[in-house]
Amino acid sequence: MLFWFVAALLTVGASLAVLLPLARRGDDERAAESNDLEVYRDQLAELDRDAARGLIQPAEAEQARAEIARRILQADGRIAESTPKAPAGRMLPRIAATVAILAVPLVSWGIYAGIGSPGLPSQPLAERLAKNPADSTVDELVARAEAHLAANPSDGRGWDVLAPIYLRLGRYGEAVNAYRNAIRLDGASALRESGLGEATAGAAGGLVTEEARAAFARALELEPEQPKARYYLATALAQEGRTAEAKAAWQAMLAALPPNSPWHAATAQAIEQANSELAAAETPPAPGPTSEQVEAAADMSEEDRNAMIQTMVAGLDARLRENPQDPEGWARLLRSYVMLGDKQAASDALARGRQALGEDSDAARNLVALAGSLGLPATE
Amino acid sequence: MTRKQKRLSVIAGAMAFLGAAVALTFYALGQKASYFYMPGDLQAATLQPGQRIRLGGLVEEGTIVRDQGTEVEFSVTDGDSSVKVHYSGILPDLFREKQGVITEGTFGPDGNFVADSVLAKHDENYMPKEVADSLKEKGVWQETTQ
Amino acid sequence: MVEIGHFALVLAFALALVQSVLPLAGARSGNARMMATGGPVAITGFVMVALAFAVLTLSYARSDFSVVNVWENSHSLKPMLYKITGTWGNHEGSMLLWVLILTFFGALVALFGANLPATLRAGVISVQGWIGAAFLLFILATSNPFTRLTPAPIEGRDLNPVLQDIGLAIHPPLLYLGYVGFSVCFSFAVAALIDGRIDAAWARWVRPWTLAAWSFLTGGIAMGSYWAYYELGWGGFWFWDPVENASFMPWLAGTALLHSAIVMEKRSALKIWTLLLAILTFSLSLLGTFLVRSGVLTSVHAFATDPSRGIFILCILTIFIGGSLALFALRAPTLTAGGIFHPVSREGALVLNNLFLTTATATVLIGTLYPLVVEALSGDKISVGAPFFNLTFGPLMVPLLALVPFGPLLAWKRGDLLAVGQRLMAAFAGALLVVLVTALFVDGASVLAALGVGLAAWLVFGALTDLALKAGVGSVPVGTMLRRLAGLPLSVFGTTLAHLGLGLTTLGVVGVLSFESENILSMRPGDTAEIAGRALRFESIDPVKGPNYTEDRATFALLDEAGQPYASVVSAKRFYPVRQMPTTEAGIRTMGFSQLYISIGDQTADGALVVRIWWKPMVTLIWLGALVMMGGGAVSLFDRRLRVGAPARRRKAASGRPGEAAA
Repeated sequence: MLFWFVAALLTVGASLAVLLPLARRGDDERAAESNDLEVYRDQLAELDRDAARGLIQPAEAEQARAEIARRILQADGRIAESTPKAPAGRMLPRIAATVAILAVPLVSWGIYAGIGSPGLPSQPLAERLAKNPADSTVDELVARAEAHLAANPSDGRGWDVLAPIYLRLGRYGEAVNAYRNAIRLDGASALRESGLGEATAGAAGGLVTEEARAAFARALELEPEQPKARYYLATALAQEGRTAEAKAAWQAMLAALPPNSPWHAATAQAIEQANSELAAAETPPAPGPTSEQVEAAADMSEEDRNAMIQTMVAGLDARLRENPQDPEGWARLLRSYVMLGDKQAASDALARGRQALGEDSDAARNLVALAGSLGLPATE
Repeated sequence: MTRKQKRLSVIAGAMAFLGAAVALTFYALGQKASYFYMPGDLQAATLQPGQRIRLGGLVEEGTIVRDQGTEVEFSVTDGDSSVKVHYSGILPDLFREKQGVITEGTFGPDGNFVADSVLAKHDENYMPKEVADSLKEKGVWQETTQ
Repeated sequence: MVEIGHFALVLAFALALVQSVLPLAGARSGNARMMATGGPVAITGFVMVALAFAVLTLSYARSDFSVVNVWENSHSLKPMLYKITGTWGNHEGSMLLWVLILTFFGALVALFGANLPATLRAGVISVQGWIGAAFLLFILATSNPFTRLTPAPIEGRDLNPVLQDIGLAIHPPLLYLGYVGFSVCFSFAVAALIDGRIDAAWARWVRPWTLAAWSFLTGGIAMGSYWAYYELGWGGFWFWDPVENASFMPWLAGTALLHSAIVMEKRSALKIWTLLLAILTFSLSLLGTFLVRSGVLTSVHAFATDPSRGIFILCILTIFIGGSLALFALRAPTLTAGGIFHPVSREGALVLNNLFLTTATATVLIGTLYPLVVEALSGDKISVGAPFFNLTFGPLMVPLLALVPFGPLLAWKRGDLLAVGQRLMAAFAGALLVVLVTALFVDGASVLAALGVGLAAWLVFGALTDLALKAGVGSVPVGTMLRRLAGLPLSVFGTTLAHLGLGLTTLGVVGVLSFESENILSMRPGDTAEIAGRALRFESIDPVKGPNYTEDRATFALLDEAGQPYASVVSAKRFYPVRQMPTTEAGIRTMGFSQLYISIGDQTADGALVVRIWWKPMVTLIWLGALVMMGGGAVSLFDRRLRVGAPARRRKAASGRPGEAAA
């Protein structure tokens, strides 16, 4: 609203700059040649000053004076000859004036309508970070927490809050760092240790490494029934190929879980998978490409890594072409392409994803927001 | 001398001056302009011994060798062939493996290129134009992205 | 808020269109009211562009990443100064600054042009409008700084670290004030050609604009040279790089214009030539803008270039240069020739100056564009560098510099070379003495170096001789002399200062080229090095964290004869994580007019540091001399005679609105 008001005001101001001089009365034609006379008179005065100061010889001064006098005579002659220009007809200037006055609002509003985004408010960073958290995007909340922690790096609670968010966003490296800070400042707890384990595993592409296992073990020391730690330790067994032991561990865990625990489904699924794996003997299922694996590739050699990432991303892309109703998949594909530096493919994936999920669906909107946070401009 | 003769002599003087300047300029262009080559162009080129050229391309991976002091050796490649370059001094900030560089200097008697200046691209979006164009021709160019 | 800036920019374009047509149409048809629109429209246009620029600057200051331009070139952690200077540290923003300065000059003409004939004033304002409209269209069509991004990212991509320096706050604005200032001279020339009339008063009106633009350009080039000197870490002050040449060519042509305008004003001679120079000078400015912005030539200074935009500027370039030259060819023959003069006279000297300067401009132009031409014709890629310019530009400059002291002493119309030579005897003897002292008492001075120093001394003494003679030193009592000195017009001091500054710059260049010493070695903490008789110890290298970078800071101590440190120099290697870019921060210590310059390189395999040390004698004089030249221009600008111009145009109404006064 304010914008339209200011824009209208500016337009009026600009139009007045054209209109007012045109509307003024009075006729003021003048002889233009008088300027030359002023210059020559000035030169004569300067000559006199120089001569008085002795800067030029009297003979030279006399010569120069004669020359300037000659020019003055010439200029006088020209003024006498010159006749004022006959004013042109009355119609033409009026038409020109009307066109000019109309041009200002028409051209400006016309062009602005084509290239402007009048509905878009300015978004200074400080203001975005200070507004009501309920209206903020996840990225803004994270940036806010980061800014807070940059100023107060010894705020353990801040790290504690931020760490699981990083984990959910798949920013595992930062999550590891945040959990470590929280543990260092506020002491170890089962939740923090198991979170650290999960982040460490995530950073390794889902592989429960020695380091992650140590974190989970510490969590179990603090709270023997901690489900996340138990779940991942069982996963570690499965990853080593000790599927039967893993299954047993999951079963034991399932038995001990309280009835309303969110871990029921995941654990049951893991057991089922273990069962089918045991049944299919030694044919492990090909894992689908995850962004964790993409990051895990960091440890491999250059060529292996590139090859692996390319294959996985291509696989994911192909799968999404067949089965596009997968918001998570699109998000992963987008992130993968951006990580690979293939902007073109990322924008392409964004467009396809939005189309598949329905332009106005929440899922599509989330995808656009993700693209924005990855530095990918939204293309219309 | 009459006024006309004076004027003519002034004009003749100015013309002689301009003529000398033009001659000097073209002589200098012939002598001092240095040609730009990629490593692959060098077989076809006929270089006078000691002729200054600009050699451009990518810094080949794993070829940067620094000795104890200020001497550096590296290879410049265009994907097909490469040339060993010898340089003494401080390399530019953005000198890295697989990045575009332009080196200027002469070929030594041992067939190595002795550079007295090394230019790297100076921001991460920018590649020396000659190098970029030549690499595009050879098809080894990839658009740099962030 | 952002959109208000965007709208103001569009509005400025609409106003520029009106400004292009209406005042000129009024001048052609004799309609005073239409002519009168020029002033208010030009001023309003400036206000609109200024508003747009202010909004963009504010967006940078507040890190509004919903503006693509801000997101691409800023970062929330950047110090506030660099957030603001970042506004013009990129293509879009710098073009906006260009147009801001253009409209600023247009508004100045409207404000201070009250004493111009109405038709000329209307013509000048219209031609300014053409340039403004063309570049505003360029900005809106290809380089809009107000393009938005939604949703807005949370962090920007940071400014190129090389540009995160105080130099960016000073150099581009000064340079553009110079570049674009010449647009006024161009507009005056084109308006005079359209009018078909040019007189003594014209030269007097053009001169202050030329002086102002020339002073700014001098300062801008000097500042840019110093910035490159300390920021790139290579220790060079001039690389004969295309971008440097792009700013140097308008300077050379502008210097010629400055001098030929004097002849035109005093003697009504060289009219046509002066007009042509005014057109050429701004054409070279446009060419410079094109070369810098399009990136058709490889340069160490080119940032954020984009060839597709280059085509657009090339079109603007062709239309303006081609159009104005065609107009010149059409109208120039109708202009009357002016006063005649003897070859040996002040006019003759100024013609000689113009001959040298334009020839020098042409050699720089050929050297700069030759690679483009060769590549277009044969496909060969060549580069023309310092060796070419040293061979061509040098021989042109040396005689010009040697002749400079004669010029101001020669009389108008017919001079006496012998008499002038006698008056310069003292200066010549002084310069000769300097040559002998340099050759005999300075270690390692070659004959050429001694002659170079002598040439610089000759310029300085010559400039002072002129002032001394005008004041009557030696021929009148001291009291009279001082009174005379105080009574001299400011423009005399301006001339003296400018020529003196030229001498100082020459001294700096000769000093660095002939007496510089350099030492490259690898050092470990505790090692000492020797440079130009000074001992230097590498103390330590420590990591330091800055606001948006980390750096390894190497500290060197200067040792006195007893081996005790008495001063320290810090040189650093910085790393900016956002752009993944390292930069070198040279360590510089100024001693007198000379500088010690240390730049550090990579660590060698065994942990030592490659260090490059220069001793640069007299180096600061290069830029101080330029500042003195700039000061000379400024002093001259305040000369009463220039300001008065043609003063006695009575204002009809007592209304204080200057824009209306000449209507």
